[in-house]
Amino acid sequence: MGTWFKQLDELLRGKRTEPGQLSEDRVNLPLRTFVSLAVILGALYGFFMGWYAMLNRDPADYMQLLAAVIKLPALFLLTLIVTFPSLYVFNALVGCRMTMTSTLRLLVGAVVVNVTVAASLGPILGFFTLSTTSYPFMIVLNIILLAVAGFVALGFLLHTLRRVSQRPFKWTELPNTPSTEGETEEGTSRLPGPLEQIEGEPSGLGPANSVFKIWVLLYGLVGAQMGWLLRPFIGSPDLPFEWFRQRDGNFFSAAVEHLSHLIGAN
Amino acid sequence: MTDALLRVDQFLRGAGDFHPVAPARRPWWWLPLMILCFAALYGGFMGSFHFVTTARIWQVLYSAIKVPLLLLSTTLLCLPGFFVINTLLGLRDDFRESLQAIFAGQAGLSIVLAALAPMTRFWYFSSESYRGALLFNAAMFTVATLAGHLISSRYYRVLITRHRFHRVAHYAWLVTYSLVGIQMGWTLRPFVGSPDVPTSFFRDEPFSNAYIVIVELIIG
Repeated sequence: MGTWFKQLDELLRGKRTEPGQLSEDRVNLPLRTFVSLAVILGALYGFFMGWYAMLNRDPADYMQLLAAVIKLPALFLLTLIVTFPSLYVFNALVGCRMTMTSTLRLLVGAVVVNVTVAASLGPILGFFTLSTTSYPFMIVLNIILLAVAGFVALGFLLHTLRRVSQRPFKWTELPNTPSTEGETEEGTSRLPGPLEQIEGEPSGLGPANSVFKIWVLLYGLVGAQMGWLLRPFIGSPDLPFEWFRQRDGNFFSAAVEHLSHLIGAN
Repeated sequence: MTDALLRVDQFLRGAGDFHPVAPARRPWWWLPLMILCFAALYGGFMGSFHFVTTARIWQVLYSAIKVPLLLLSTTLLCLPGFFVINTLLGLRDDFRESLQAIFAGQAGLSIVLAALAPMTRFWYFSSESYRGALLFNAAMFTVATLAGHLISSRYYRVLITRHRFHRVAHYAWLVTYSLVGIQMGWTLRPFVGSPDVPTSFFRDEPFSNAYIVIVELIIG
């Protein structure tokens, strides 16, 4: 467990994705550890998400809390399962040199970044849950928090991809090159963060870059709809507990409806 | 198994045995085998629409048989014409490679379809609309066809440098294949299976022409 969090810390600091560590057939993110981390951290955010039903239903609804804890990691991992095969096949088609396992590791890494950011925002969510009873507000807040986490993860993914696309030989020399960033507290040359643009970092991956961009959009769409299928996460205070709701409608119409309800448009 | 999947990976990347320039050292049945397996995989997912009763399992099975059947029977129907055209254009000596290029295109189509299968299943989870399911499948087939074309062009590019008439043969193949393919798809329907109609291998209707149906739909 301790080593897991050490590895997570390394991922967040960018040590795992530092240029020398990466190549097309080697991404140093062991799947078992990072999938477990995704589950744990996703569950942590789900835990905060489930507070609302616990506090606003009478009697307190612990089943909804449990459901949110299970469903949140499931949301991320199921979306990955649905979208990964097409990403891999199209990447191979356009000639991206990344192997299947390293693509998967990289994406699991991005999911871990996503849920870590979300989990770190969890206490904020918990605080708002304690102080508000408005259901539409909770929904919009959750969408915003998850969107923030999603964009950070997206940045991580795209930057790491650019590093992968570059052959490692240039990067191994990088820590030794004198730079203006060398004057940190330790006085040693600083490791570039995972979201940092490195000088000379290529701006694109060629055709694989557009495949990834399309895929990111697809992941977002599937993820949003997956969330809709797995609902309720928060649990409306007026409805009884259910594992899954009736399968109708879609995420986007519902999000717009809640938003307009919140700003009083209807 | 892993070995087979590694070969699929090689095929997608156009590397190793499947390099367009390398002469075909692999056994000839590799490409048809890939078509068979991956198209059947997609077919299974395609037929899983409205999977609420056990009777619908037949639709899964039928579609798993019908999608590879669609691809291979269309090919079979178009092959004689393709052969004659190639001969007339004086490309007979390269016929083996031409054949490989068109089969490679369809193998690529099948693999991409199989990779899109989870998306189709996910769509079925999200929407119960039969019309929506048909449109989504049409979209998936369009994407896969484009990818297949990409792969077959890879092989044809090598052939065209050898003789420019190969380009004509390639276009002739594309036109006849899509013309026949659409009608074949119509004849072999249903693939998705309307929830209002009992499951059957073929529709219990006399043969009709897809193009006339389309024209009638437009004119009304």
